[in-house]
This record gives sequence, C-alpha cells and structure tokens, in this order.
Amino acid sequence: MATEKTDVVIVGVGAAGGILAAELGKAGMKVIGLERGPRLKTADFNPHDELRYFQRQELRPNAKRQPVTWRPNAKVRANPMSILNYGNQAGGGTVHYGTLSWRFHEDDFRARSHTIERYSAAAIPADSSIADWPITYADLEPYYDRAEYELGVSGKAGNLQGRKIDGGNVFEAPRRREYPLPALLADQSGVLFEAGARKLGYHPFSSPRAILSEPYHDRPGCTYCGFCQSFGCHVGAKSSILVTKLPEADATGNFKLVTGTMCYRVNTDNSGRATGVSYYGPDGSDNTIEAEIVILTPFIYDNTRLLLLSRTEKFPNGLANSSGQLGKHLMAHMMAKVFAAFDDRYVNVYMGPSAQKHTIDDFNGDNFDHSGLGFIRGSQVSIGPADLEAGPIGTAISLNPPPGTPRWGAAYRDFLAKYFARYGAIVAQTENLAYSDQTIDLDPDVRDQYGLPAPRLTYDWRRPNELARVEFLLTRMEEIGRAMGATHVWRAPLGPGAPGAHHEGGTRMGNDPKTSVVNRYGQTWDIPNLFVIGSSTFPSMSGFNPTLTIQAVSYMSANAIVNRYKKNPGPLV
Amino acid sequence: MTKHDAARRAFLVRAAVGAGAVAGAGLVPELDAQMEHNHAENPSAAHQHPSGAEHGAFFNHDDAVTMAAFTERLMPGAPDKPGANETGVLNYIDLALAGAYSDLQDFYRRGLAQLDVYCRKTYNTSFQHLSAAQQDEVLAALEEGKATGFAWPTAQDFFNTVRTHTMEGMFADPLYGGNKDFAGWRLVGFPGAQAMFTPIDLQNQQAFTRAPMIGLQSVSSSPIRKG
Repeated sequence: MATEKTDVVIVGVGAAGGILAAELGKAGMKVIGLERGPRLKTADFNPHDELRYFQRQELRPNAKRQPVTWRPNAKVRANPMSILNYGNQAGGGTVHYGTLSWRFHEDDFRARSHTIERYSAAAIPADSSIADWPITYADLEPYYDRAEYELGVSGKAGNLQGRKIDGGNVFEAPRRREYPLPALLADQSGVLFEAGARKLGYHPFSSPRAILSEPYHDRPGCTYCGFCQSFGCHVGAKSSILVTKLPEADATGNFKLVTGTMCYRVNTDNSGRATGVSYYGPDGSDNTIEAEIVILTPFIYDNTRLLLLSRTEKFPNGLANSSGQLGKHLMAHMMAKVFAAFDDRYVNVYMGPSAQKHTIDDFNGDNFDHSGLGFIRGSQVSIGPADLEAGPIGTAISLNPPPGTPRWGAAYRDFLAKYFARYGAIVAQTENLAYSDQTIDLDPDVRDQYGLPAPRLTYDWRRPNELARVEFLLTRMEEIGRAMGATHVWRAPLGPGAPGAHHEGGTRMGNDPKTSVVNRYGQTWDIPNLFVIGSSTFPSMSGFNPTLTIQAVSYMSANAIVNRYKKNPGPLV
Repeated sequence: MTKHDAARRAFLVRAAVGAGAVAGAGLVPELDAQMEHNHAENPSAAHQHPSGAEHGAFFNHDDAVTMAAFTERLMPGAPDKPGANETGVLNYIDLALAGAYSDLQDFYRRGLAQLDVYCRKTYNTSFQHLSAAQQDEVLAALEEGKATGFAWPTAQDFFNTVRTHTMEGMFADPLYGGNKDFAGWRLVGFPGAQAMFTPIDLQNQQAFTRAPMIGLQSVSSSPIRKG
C-alpha cells in the first residue's frame, strides 16, 4: 500500500481529463492521472484489424471484467450489456471515436426556455426533466475555439460572426473565425448525400471532425484509409488526446500518468473536504493519493458509481448528493437508420473517415418548425456505413438486408457480395430528452473484477416524444435516399430501448444546489475541492456528438481552476 | 508442410467432406481435391489416425462435421462465390473457441447437443445427415426461435452467435484462421487494410480493384474482384 501526495488527482484521462492534466500542469500544479487501461502508441495501430478493434472492441472496456447492466425500467432485473460504448485507455474514447466535433447550437443550452418561448410549456412532455444549462453558447465560444485550434479540427464555417456561408453548416451558432483546417474531402457517399439533400432544399456539408485534413502541429494529414470509428489512427492524424494533450502534459514535467488502475473511492474528512482518492494498482495493491483537488473525468457511469461508493456518515447518500439528483437524468443518442443501395454504381463507403461523414443540420435542435409534429428537439442526419465502420464484418452484422431478403443462405451471400461496396447508411442521431426516472445507480447483484458493484442503467428511449421523432426522421431519410438516386431504400429495424452512444447525465450542472450536483465549472456544490467534468454534467444533450463540448467545458473549468480557484480555494459560484 | 499442419488440414478437410457427403455432392470440390493432393504429398500425415478419429483445437470430429455443414448453409459456396468451407470458417471458429472465445465453449457444447436432440426428434437423424433443404429448415427454425427443446443457449442465441462467428471467419484477417487467401474479402470486394486512399480513389464510382489486398502478415497481388 502506497500513499502519495500531489496537488491534483484526475480520475480518467480521456477527452476531459487529458485537457485538465495539460492545462493544470502548465500552471505549475502537480498532477497525477489515474487511468484504467493502458497507454498505447500510434505504432500499435498499424496495420488495421477489424476483428480485433471493431468486432472484439479492444479499445473499449471488457464487458465481462467491467460489467455495466441495463434494464428498461425499474420493475425488471438488469442484465449485463454485451458492448460498452466508451474508451478504456489513456486518451479515453478519443482514441477510437469517430471524431465528430460539433459546437452545440445556442438553443441547445436553453432547450427548455426556448421550447416554452417558441411553442408552450405544454410542448414539453410532462415527465421530461429537460433543463437549461447554467452557461450559454457565448460563455463557451472562446473554449470551443481553443479546442478546435489546439486539438486540430477540420471543417468549413457556416456562420462567421453572423455571416451565413453556403457549404458550411448554416445552422451553426456564430463562430469568431474559420476552422483551423479545411474540411475533409467527401467520398462518394458524401457526394451522393450532398446532391440528394440539395435537391430537397437542405443544407449539406462535410462534417467537422477532429482529423487533420492537412499536416498540423507536426502531425500528418489524414490518409483516408477508412479505419476511424473503433480504431486508433495509424498515422496520428486523428486529434485524439493520446497525440495532442498527453504529450503537452508530459512536457510540463508536472504530470504523472498511472495506468492499469481502478479508483474505487474518493476520500473525505469530517469537515466535508475531499482528501484524495484510493485505487487498486495493476498488481492488485491498495493505494492512496492525497490531493488538494480531486477531479473526476471518467466515462459518465463511473462518476455516479464513485460518488455512491464513497458514501460516509457525513454523506450517507453518496458524495455531492445533497440535492438527491446524483445518478438521474441519464441520456443517450439512438441511431435510426435508412439504407440506400445502388444497382448502377459503386459507393465504396469504406474509403475515408468512417463515421457520420456528411451531414444536414436542417432537422436538428429547433432548426425546423415542430408545430403539430408531436415532438420537440431533433437530430443530426448524416451519411456513412451501417455502423459507423465500413469493414466487411461490421457490414455483415449491421447492414440488415431489405425486407424479403434473408440474413443467411445463398440469397444473403449474393446480397452482401453485390451491395457491400454499393450502399450508404443515412443515420439520424436523435436528441432524446432527459427524464428523471432514467438513472445510473449501483447494481445489487452484479460486481466487477474488483468486487465493486457494477453501474446499473435504467433507461428506455422508446417514449412518445422520441418515437414520434424517430418516425418523422425515418420518413425524411427515406426521401433523402430516393433523392440520392438509390435503387433500393429501406429502414433498419429499431432494436431495443437500450442506451446507444454518447451517454450524458448523472451529475447534472445547474445554478441551484437544490436541483443540481455541480455548478457551471463542474465544481460539486457540496465539496468545493471535488470537481466532476464531462458529459455527465450536461442538462440536455443536443443531437450532436458531445466530445467537442466536453472539451470546451474542460478548458473552461481548467481556466477557472488555474485563474481563480488556485489563488482562492473555495466555491467558484 | 509440417506434420502438424498436415494433420490439422486433414481434420478440417474431413469435417468439410463429412458435412458435404449428404448435403450435396460437389459442395466442397476444392477441399476434396486438396485432400487427394495431401494423400499423395504426405500420406503419413493423412493416415496418422487409423481409427479415423480426429480432433480440432476445440471441436471433436462429429461437432466439426456439424459446424462445417451449419456454417456452409449460412454462407454457401458456389462457383466464383467462396462460402464458409472454402474460406475456412470452421478453422476460425475452432481456433477462436480454443483461445479468445474459450468462455463460449459450453455455449457451443450445449448448443450443438441441443441441436442434435432437436434434429433426431424431428428428422430421426443428426444434422450432418440431413439434406441441404432440411438443414435450411432447421436453421430457419433456430433463427425464428421455433426449434423446440432449447433452454440454454436459446435457439435464437445459438443461431445468432454462429452467424456472427461465421461472418468473422469469412471476413476477419487470414491470421485468425479464416478468410483463406482473402477469399472472403474477394467475395465482397474489400481491399483489406489499405493504409491510404487517394483523392482519385475517393472519386471512383466503379469497383475498387487495385491490388494488392493487404492483411496483417500477408498481401495478395491477384485481382480483388471482377469489376
């Protein structure tokens, strides 16, 4: 058993933790980062291997050793999920992610107020706990800008200081300047989507991605190999935390990364102050770090789990839970899909960055009139392969054949052989609302390899508002598929109500300690030297991928810690 | 060829031939020819089990024959269209169950045992001795959950798992024991782990056919597919 002292301990060194490690280290603070998985290198990712990384999920947590259970509602027993949709290494999910790097819309930060203003309070489902953020787009804009430029994001502006620009996302909130790198080239699925969407009067564009379209910061540009989602980048063109912020953190001389660890408790004293954390080392040892500041930045489940596991007599309901809100308002995207296949040409969708390649934002947020539609909020709609990855294993698993074609036998073989390189998947990534009965807590029955209770998710996206939205979007996507000139257009089955990708919630941020767990800086209301930073703090989720917003929020929190908290420790709000 | 390689080849070939014996003549002509070749080339290897009993890394001979037949019905071969047997799906699954998927050994044992009970009850014989049409009936009953007598794994879980592993064997890198000579990738026109595509490639509206196909430890410079 070892005990170490440091200024700051960061639990989970991914999208958020990597930024905080570098920024606090640069400010002269001694930082120890605890990471569950290994620290990999670019050389580990060459050549690419679909079985290992996509199918066997090597860059994600092992679902048997680190189980997470799910149940659709509180009346039934939860079962372990077979695939865990997050990262398990230094750099976290940014190592294997699809790199979509969005700024949320202005109204995404005030979805509740905006809905009431434009429609009415009655438009919001009675059981939804959708809430405004305690920050606005304007608060975050400088940090979005910093993330785009420091990490390296490729895209084309659609709204430069209020000036709308065709070819970019004309629905985006105003940005101060262009992206640091030009948009990535479209492959043929993007070309077809662009033409089809324009024919219907929509506004398509090459999705902004944290992939270098040109050399930048001593890293090479993208090779368009197509192995992005689920894979590490074999040239380091993906702007993952592994090749951006971790080298910066190393260079400060103030950062120490400890891999192969499992943090199992945040320690507090009788005064109600966090004193540090306890963790199991790779050798099974039981270790303690004493720190002035504890920052939790793991994937969202482990924020709630750690705070619940750290309960004391002083904090009997878990740390930072005086509001009773800990673990509530779990959100996740679901992916509704329409396939478009071509008899007269090839698409070769396996070329180029694989995830959500080309996008329309016309049906996202409140970018369209929802009057009479029976739902609020929308969805990003994009083109790509069947499951964000375009190899033949993924295609055989996820490209459901059209009605009338079986999933096996000679007819299926011929279907797959003919259409593997002749299709694209149009995907809606829906903004499912927050509901307070969608929760994370501790599973009473299932334990992980360390004997700790598994996180248990109670969640079912299939609510009236969400089902109406999905039906609306599937119809729009079928129209797009036909406008693309596809010979065959069909819907993928919707599947069960389990949470999909991009989980948010559990440690909601707000302006009121009675209804939220953390303030706008991720500082817990109850314990001022304990921070929780990442998408677990999001009060609503938007139809956009969360990573750039996680990163912007992390820069904002780092700024507040360095420039205010460090000089005068205490509540920042 | 080492003695070990030859013996393993013989195990796989016999399984495939056993599976094809009733289900359809000529189902595995290439493997048949290969077995003849092996006999000629290395008769001692082909005859090292005088009893005819052979064993894979996981599957015994009977289970190997059943699995060869099952996976071939899922992805049947035809001229110029390699199926499960030709691509080495049985080899892939056998090695996976002895290694990465060893926690699924009981899943397969019980699944195959339940399949055997179901086939004997319904057809009075084992899966490997059914006609191809009857084997398809069994697969459909599994897929739809209509096959009776399955507790764990359920018929649908067993079917879906074998289907998934068949696709892995067809399309995973040859290093893992299937996708023999990139036959699976060739079937669908996937060029493998290409390190880059050029802007010209991205504009291509035709099949991408430029060799080589690239794997983890091997490349193939023969054509990827007929355009």
